[in-house]
Amino acid sequence: MRGVMRLLIKPSYKTTEALKNVSFQIERGNFIGLIGANGAGKTTLLKILSGLIPPTSGNAKVMSFVPFERSIDFRKKISLVMGQKAQLWWDLSALDAFDLLRAIYEIPYPSYKKRLNELTELLNVNQLLKTQIRKLSLGERMKMELIGALIHWPEVIFLDEPTIGLDILAAHNLRSFLKKFNQNHKATIILTSHNMEDIEELCPRILILKTGELIYDGSPNTLTKKGEIRLKLLLLQYPTPEELAKTTELPITQIEVEQESPEPRHIIFHIKKELIIAVLQKLMRYYQVIDMSIEEQSLETVIQQIYEKNN
Amino acid sequence: MKKIINLHWRAAALKNGFMDAVAYRAEFFIDIIGSALVPASIQLILWYAVFYIGQAHSFGGMSFIELINYTIISVLFSQIRGGNQDFELQEMIRTGNLSQHLLKPIGVVEFVYIRGVAPKLVIASVCICIGVVLSIWLPITIPRIFGAIFLALLGNIIHYQVGAILSTFSFLWEEAYSVLMVKNLIVSILSGELLPLNLFPASMSWAWKTTPFYLYVFGPTQFALGKWSVAQYFHSLGVGAIWIAILWVGIRISWHLGIRRYQSLGG
Repeated sequence: MRGVMRLLIKPSYKTTEALKNVSFQIERGNFIGLIGANGAGKTTLLKILSGLIPPTSGNAKVMSFVPFERSIDFRKKISLVMGQKAQLWWDLSALDAFDLLRAIYEIPYPSYKKRLNELTELLNVNQLLKTQIRKLSLGERMKMELIGALIHWPEVIFLDEPTIGLDILAAHNLRSFLKKFNQNHKATIILTSHNMEDIEELCPRILILKTGELIYDGSPNTLTKKGEIRLKLLLLQYPTPEELAKTTELPITQIEVEQESPEPRHIIFHIKKELIIAVLQKLMRYYQVIDMSIEEQSLETVIQQIYEKNN
Repeated sequence: MKKIINLHWRAAALKNGFMDAVAYRAEFFIDIIGSALVPASIQLILWYAVFYIGQAHSFGGMSFIELINYTIISVLFSQIRGGNQDFELQEMIRTGNLSQHLLKPIGVVEFVYIRGVAPKLVIASVCICIGVVLSIWLPITIPRIFGAIFLALLGNIIHYQVGAILSTFSFLWEEAYSVLMVKNLIVSILSGELLPLNLFPASMSWAWKTTPFYLYVFGPTQFALGKWSVAQYFHSLGVGAIWIAILWVGIRISWHLGIRRYQSLGG
C-alpha cells in the first residue's frame, strides 16, 4: 500500500540512453537493413530520422533537411510505415483513404491513377480497393498501408517491421514488391525487421545496433563470410586441434573442437567450399570419419550469436 | 505563385470525415436523436415540475411557454456544438498514432478538426431546415435561424480549440481524458445546454460571461428566439472572433511546447 501511495504522490522515472554515438551516411537509392534485439534503438533511430522526435544531442540530416524541423517539403518526400500502426481508417475503404492522400500530397489525378494501378498490380490487391479496411486480412491491410505510404512516390522510406504478422507467402510478396519499388524508383529505403529473410533478400548493407550503439555497418555477406562453410565431422579417433591443423595444413584458428559433451566430439572446420574435398582427403589418410555434415552460416545464426554475446 | 491555403485537402478531409461518420448510418442517427432527446426530456420534466407541481407562474423571469421554446430551440444548437475531436487528439498523442499524421504535409490539429466537423455541418443544414419548419409555430424568423446557426458554428470552432489546447496535457501526463471530461461537464452547464443561463443568480452570471461557452447554445438560442438584439448578436460574433484568435495563439504555443516532449510510443 505504501508503494502505491508513493507512486501516486512521487512517481519515479528512469532515463535510458536509447542511442549512443551512432554515426553513418547513406547514399541515395540504397536499401539499408537496420538490425538489433528488442530495445536496441532501431525504432528510436527511425523516429529521429523521420522527424518524429529530436535527438537529445548530435544531429541528423536527411536529404539536407533537419528532420525534426518537419518542413512541408521534407514531409512530402518521406514516408514512414510502422507495421504496428495503421494510417488508414478502419471503417472506410482503402480507395477513400487514397483519395484523401492524393489531395494531401497534391498529386495530379493522371499520375495518381497511374501510380495506384502500378502499386495495386504489384501487390495484387486491385479487387480489394473498395472493401472496408476492417474487413481485410492482416496481410491485405499491410499491403494497403504500403500503398498509402508510397502513393506520393517518397524519396526516402522508413519501414519499421513491415512484415510483422504476415504469413510466408504474403511476406515474400511484400519483399518482392519492395525490391521492385526500390529498383524502379530509386527510393532510399531503411528497413528494420526481426525477419532475417527480409534483410538477406533486400539489403546489400546492414547496420546492427546493440544497446544503442552501432556495432556493425557493412554487407551481410561479409558478416556471414559468404562462401565459407562449416564442415562438421565425427571421427573415430580423438586428435587434438594441433594434430588436425598439421594433418590438414589449415591454420588452427579455422579448427574448432566442440567442447559441450565429452564424447563423441564433433570437429568443425571453417573453410571455403572449394577446400572440402582436399581437407577430407588429407583427414581420411589418418582418421576414420563416422559422420559428416556441411553447414552454410546464415545471417540469422550470426545475428543470434551477436545477441547472445551481448547477454 | 505559391498557394497560401490548400483548399483541396481540406475539402477532401471534409468528405472523408463525413464518410467515416456515416459509415454506420443507424449508429449516426441514433446518436443524434439520443443526444437531442435525453437532455430535452429532462428539461421538459423539470419545467413541468416547476410550473404544475410547484405551481410557479414564472421561473427566472421566464414563463412556461418561454422555457419550452428555449428547450426546443436549444436542442438544435446543442447538436452543432463541438464533437469529440479533442478526445481523438489526446488519444493520438497517448498511443503514438499522432506519428502517422505528423509526417504528412498538413497541420494535424486542423486536419482532425476538419474531419470531425464534417458531420456537424450536415447536422447544421438539417437544423436550419427544422428551424425553418419550426418558425411556423414558434416565435423565430428564418434570418435569425441562419444567424444563430452561424454563431453556433463559431462556438463549435471555439469548443475544439479549447479541447485542442487541453489535449496537449497528454504530452506531459500521457493521459488527458479526465481533463477533457471535466471541460465537457463545465461546458454542458455554462453553454446553456442543460439550463438557460439567465436562471443563474445575478451574482454568479460572471461565471458564464467570462467564458466563451455561452456562444455554443445559449447565445444562438437567445438570438433565434428574438431575446437578443442584432447589436448584441454582432457583439457576440466579435467576442467569438477574439476568442478564436486568442485560442489559435494558445494552440500554437501549447503544441509547439508539447511536441518537443512527444515520444511516439507504441512501437
